[in-house]
Amino acid sequence: MSTIQAGSVENKPYIDPTPLPDHIPKVAELGVTSAPLKSAAFFIGAYCKEYNEDFMLCKAEDRNPEHCLKEGRRVTRCATDLTHTTQEYYHCRKPERSLNACMFEKLGLTKTIPGTPTGQVPIHDVKNPYYKSIQK
Amino acid sequence: MPVPWEALIPFGLLTAMFGAAGTLLNVSTRAQNQGKPARYNIDNWDDMMMRRDKQLTGHKRGQSDNPIAPAGFETSSVWFTERTS
Repeated sequence: MSTIQAGSVENKPYIDPTPLPDHIPKVAELGVTSAPLKSAAFFIGAYCKEYNEDFMLCKAEDRNPEHCLKEGRRVTRCATDLTHTTQEYYHCRKPERSLNACMFEKLGLTKTIPGTPTGQVPIHDVKNPYYKSIQK
Repeated sequence: MPVPWEALIPFGLLTAMFGAAGTLLNVSTRAQNQGKPARYNIDNWDDMMMRRDKQLTGHKRGQSDNPIAPAGFETSSVWFTERTS
């Protein structure tokens, strides 16, 4: 390119306040932020497995956002269901063990990390894990 | 025999200056991250989640466990845009 493009950085953020059209059913969005979501991630994965898989398969067909709105609503509703009932992993391994035991007794959900090499103890079951001041 | 304690002053100064600079940097980064250590190795997923956290709580390190999003959350996301003209 021999021409110089002028910069196009806006100093005001572009926010579109138009809501979704009325023919699309409304679903309450999740208000949980990243930390509680991360701690509940495996349990959401176990609880909402079918809906999540449905959504991912739908997305694999067509990346158009409109195509997967229904599956997306189901995923949101399922996750909301779980966050209503419950809520950086290695600092919290000790309370996590009691959380996992409690989750298993009360809700019948176990935490499994898919992709753990066979013969290796899953990281959340390691007796004396390494600690760092912050995970990432 | 008198010990040349004045020769240790530069060492003391260096320690104090490095210590002050390091402490100030630490305090400054913690203050920007609401008292927590700064995040590093942030990938696109983490960046996206922190943008969502900012939408939900007003600060990119803010956290909340409220199951329902506050009103106006659906329409408050910032779009990546560029002027074309």
